[in-house]
Amino acid sequence: MSAIAVSEAGQPAQDGRPSAPVSRTKRILLYTALTLLAVAMAMPFVAMLLMAFRPDDVTALRDIFFSTSFTLDNFRANLRNDSMLRWFLNSTIYAVVSVVLVLVLSSLAGYAFAKKRFFARDKIFWLFIAMLVVPAQVTIIPLFILIVKMDGANTYWGLILPTVANAQGVFLMRQYIIGIPDDLIEAAKLDGASEFRVFWQIILPLTVPVQATLGIFVFLWHWNDFLWPLIVAQQSAMQTLTVGLATMQSLVPSTNSMMAAAAISFLPSLVIFIICQRFIVQSIASSGIKG
Amino acid sequence: MISRTEPAWKRVWRQSAPHRAGYAFILPVLILFLLFRVWPTIDGLLLSFQDYRIRGGTTWIGFANFRDLWDDKIFWGSLQVTLTYALISVPLATVVAVAMALLIDRAIAGIAWYRAIYFLPYITSFVMISVIWSWIYRTNDGLLNGLLGTVGIAPIPWLTDERYVLPSLAIMAVWKGVGYSMMILLAGLRAIPATLAEASAVDGATGAQTFWRITLPLLKPVLFFVIVIETIGSFQVFDAIYVMTGGGPVRASYSLVYMLYDESFKFQNYGYAAAIGVVLFAMTFTVTMIQRLMFGRGEA
Repeated sequence: MSAIAVSEAGQPAQDGRPSAPVSRTKRILLYTALTLLAVAMAMPFVAMLLMAFRPDDVTALRDIFFSTSFTLDNFRANLRNDSMLRWFLNSTIYAVVSVVLVLVLSSLAGYAFAKKRFFARDKIFWLFIAMLVVPAQVTIIPLFILIVKMDGANTYWGLILPTVANAQGVFLMRQYIIGIPDDLIEAAKLDGASEFRVFWQIILPLTVPVQATLGIFVFLWHWNDFLWPLIVAQQSAMQTLTVGLATMQSLVPSTNSMMAAAAISFLPSLVIFIICQRFIVQSIASSGIKG
Repeated sequence: MISRTEPAWKRVWRQSAPHRAGYAFILPVLILFLLFRVWPTIDGLLLSFQDYRIRGGTTWIGFANFRDLWDDKIFWGSLQVTLTYALISVPLATVVAVAMALLIDRAIAGIAWYRAIYFLPYITSFVMISVIWSWIYRTNDGLLNGLLGTVGIAPIPWLTDERYVLPSLAIMAVWKGVGYSMMILLAGLRAIPATLAEASAVDGATGAQTFWRITLPLLKPVLFFVIVIETIGSFQVFDAIYVMTGGGPVRASYSLVYMLYDESFKFQNYGYAAAIGVVLFAMTFTVTMIQRLMFGRGEA
């Protein structure tokens, strides 16, 4: 027994530190704990899906889990709902346009903060970082008043523009670009490349990993955002999916239909998570990026 | 040669080229940042000293908003709700996150799958999970009471009883957010040299002794970072309350941010709501400064 354990311990671990020698009982206990916890964490998702695929008249707990009746009506009803489609579109516009703008703005500024020397550079950078201390909820009233005065309420630009000057994005880009050797930039300049060309052809291609990290998180922040869209886009046609979902919930609809709506709202994030799972999880550990 | 015939303004223009290039790169984000982040922060402070009317007629009223807050029972109630919520959710989130980080800090087959499942709730929106958990927590035909009923436990009014509503909201928030803290703590655990734990095991320490005497002290800065993040997050609780309880029952979940929302966007008391924002900022700032003083400049 112990011989096997030792030889296992000697193998390089594929992920993290090498495993200590563990007895079989300990191993079984460990997997039991991990699995029980996984069931608890996954239960709300599983329950949501089960409920979403059951007809309205299935309400008893046993039937929700073990009934054979199955329907797509809840999803069909939601997808036939014009408001729902509009909210989905609005959330997509809000998230995707914000991702593009944040990536462009942050990498431009991050490059300058990392590699350029200009008047008051470090003071301006410090201002970006210092403002992270101010919670968004504190600025939301003046921001709302400002947008109303600029006639931006219930418009896409009014919804999007105030959210794209992202200090975390600028910080992340600067930290990454600082690691790019100056020689690369100097060489390109000697070859007569313009400032913008250096950025476009040297810096941008090298920042793809950090662009991906930031892009995923900005998408999730915006897709899941609630308070800002709630106050600045109050007309039903301009509401985002989170706001629409909250409105639907307040009308006390059937639970089955609500679960289908919740599942639909989760689908884009889930797809991104499935594709980039390892990447998302690791980037938290390495960059401390926070939603 | 050229420089002698060159006029002064031209020289200044030429020498400022690197500065101009730098500013050209940061200008788009700087303008948006000053307009939509820095100015609203200043304006938020100014608003708290005004009786603000969005259609004109705004007057400066000094500290009247803050004096009114001081006398407002609803404000003290919301402060109490927010702090109680923090007091429940932060320790719970921290303990669970540490336990989960210790549990997944091993290289065994399938660990990446478990990690992914534990992390999954973090990428959801509070609105979506509030929809699900509204059903889970429902008293009469909710999932949780249904499950508890199978082992003979009487229905519990999770969201409709003043005593249960904040713990219920906290449990849901921990479920949603624990994956993030877990990953931060896992990174902290991995940064501790394995030789230390091995040495203490050689000296005959039990697993528990190693954890309390070696692991936990070395984990302190990361642990504190997680506690600060969790605390600041709990001060801002809003989305779940909006969807699940509307601040009820009888204001038992009427948080600071919910009151800020109510006062501004329902009652148009923008100045009064801005004063609540100043209080929220002071609370967040205090927590952040405590972390800075204790552990220097922590990362982001």
